[in-house]
Amino acid sequence: MSLTEQTDRKEAPSQDPNRIEHVDATAKDLWRRWGPWVITTLNLSTFFVLWEVVARLEIINRLFLPRATDMFIALWDGLANSAPPGAVISGSIRDHLLYSLGNLGVGVGIAIVIGVPFGLLMGANKYVDSILSPYVWAISSMPRIALVPLFILFLGFSRTMKITIIALSAVFPIMINAWAGVKTTDKSLLAAAKVFGASRWELYTKVVFPFTLPFIIAGIQQGIGRGLVGVIIAEIFGGSDGLGYLIQRAADTFNPALLYAVLFLLVVVSLSIVQYTRWLEGRLAPWRKLEGL
Amino acid sequence: MTSDQGNGRVRSGRHVITAANLTVGYELHRERQRLTALRDVSLTVDRGEFVVLVGPSGCGKTTFINAISGLVSPWEGTIEVNGRPVTGPGPDRAMVFQDYALMPWRTVEQNIRLPFELQDLDISEEERDERIRRYIDLVDLGGFENSFPYELSGGMKQRVGIARALVSEPDILLADEPFAAVDAMTREAMQGELERFVSATGQTVVFITHSIDEAITLGDRVVVISYRPGQIKEIVDVDLPRPRFDYDVKTLPAYTELRERVWGLVKDEAFQTARGATP
Repeated sequence: MSLTEQTDRKEAPSQDPNRIEHVDATAKDLWRRWGPWVITTLNLSTFFVLWEVVARLEIINRLFLPRATDMFIALWDGLANSAPPGAVISGSIRDHLLYSLGNLGVGVGIAIVIGVPFGLLMGANKYVDSILSPYVWAISSMPRIALVPLFILFLGFSRTMKITIIALSAVFPIMINAWAGVKTTDKSLLAAAKVFGASRWELYTKVVFPFTLPFIIAGIQQGIGRGLVGVIIAEIFGGSDGLGYLIQRAADTFNPALLYAVLFLLVVVSLSIVQYTRWLEGRLAPWRKLEGL
Repeated sequence: MTSDQGNGRVRSGRHVITAANLTVGYELHRERQRLTALRDVSLTVDRGEFVVLVGPSGCGKTTFINAISGLVSPWEGTIEVNGRPVTGPGPDRAMVFQDYALMPWRTVEQNIRLPFELQDLDISEEERDERIRRYIDLVDLGGFENSFPYELSGGMKQRVGIARALVSEPDILLADEPFAAVDAMTREAMQGELERFVSATGQTVVFITHSIDEAITLGDRVVVISYRPGQIKEIVDVDLPRPRFDYDVKTLPAYTELRERVWGLVKDEAFQTARGATP
């Protein structure tokens, strides 16, 4: 079958070990590999240097814009140490960060445990879908911040109140993505599984669920993003723990370095979470990224 | 179809597939309508025969294959496989799909193993492994066992699809335009390979295509189906010697005659479809 080899293997040369040759890296290759990193580093350095210059010139009031260096010092101090007893603000950045992340983890965990099975059920069964969907769409399209006073009424300024808000923020993207995954399952994959003898249950376990998995991961990714918003909202509204509280307290006590340090930390945290879930998606569903090429 | 001279393929004369006055179609739930795809079709297929269905798009070829596979049930008439009415899919039939329908999360080896996981076959684990290896070799995918479909070319994907259909060694191989999505050169090569596979296994094949050349080079019989509702217009016997891919079958005068005859039958239907006319 030499004809076959000549014709259709050429489309996938990277798979054929005989066709891979090693070529010396040129300056162009090096730039392609490291260029984006160099640009990003220069870009961010320029940003912080400009910030430092503007702050030192005091064009903007120091109470509103601290020096970049002061922010980094506050961040470092806050992450390296616990707050001493009797400090103006109880707890360091580290303490509050751990509290917030703990709540986020529990809240998103609850959202996954509820959202995934309900999303799958709604996708698989039209009766479940038509019964639940008015509630799902109503609550998911509503700005959840509007519900916070109600939860405070029910649950007080407790940790339970915060976790409820986080779970409620995260559950709908997870549920809706799982639902969409089931609904968009490739019809010809289902037909193939049927032809080869799949039972109804096997259609779900061997086709629908694996097909839906990357959708669920994308849903969890969005859920974490929404959950993080829930964390901050809940903590700003009440209680004396968490990064949201710390932001509020830093503003109240005219401590802009601390305020900016927490904001910067939030950016880093949410970017890291997004990057991690993307990496996870690439590991668990590599075909999604590459099929589109 | 029991007479068989110079054709080279073994035929027992026993009917493997019998469709009698088959009428079947689809329910369009939303419009509260139903669409008759095939009307009153009768056809018998012998063991080891290679039957090709040609006809314009929407003429019901796929519906016919789906009725044989058990994915759709007849509205009227009967369809029997090995003397028993078809009530659903079974391990005696397997299908090759136009869009390959490979599970993207499974490797080549795992995709080919799928029928064993879904069907309750009385085959030992060693026998399964041995067969999977054998069919991977047959379709020339040795070394790609652990590749994922997205890493393969179209032709290679379809060879996985073919191996998956052959691995449970079904009596009947159904193929719905399996080479429509691969490029022209790969297509010719794969037609030759398919002829080789099925002559090695002695399977009965029902094959759908839009290509008259593909129909004549592969088929023992070419069944021309007319446009909606699909009915058998004519059955053309192809008595060209096999294996046909060992020589250039297209240079034979008999080939040219067959081609003209089939084209003459399909032409009107194709023009009618192109105009969007309903009969």
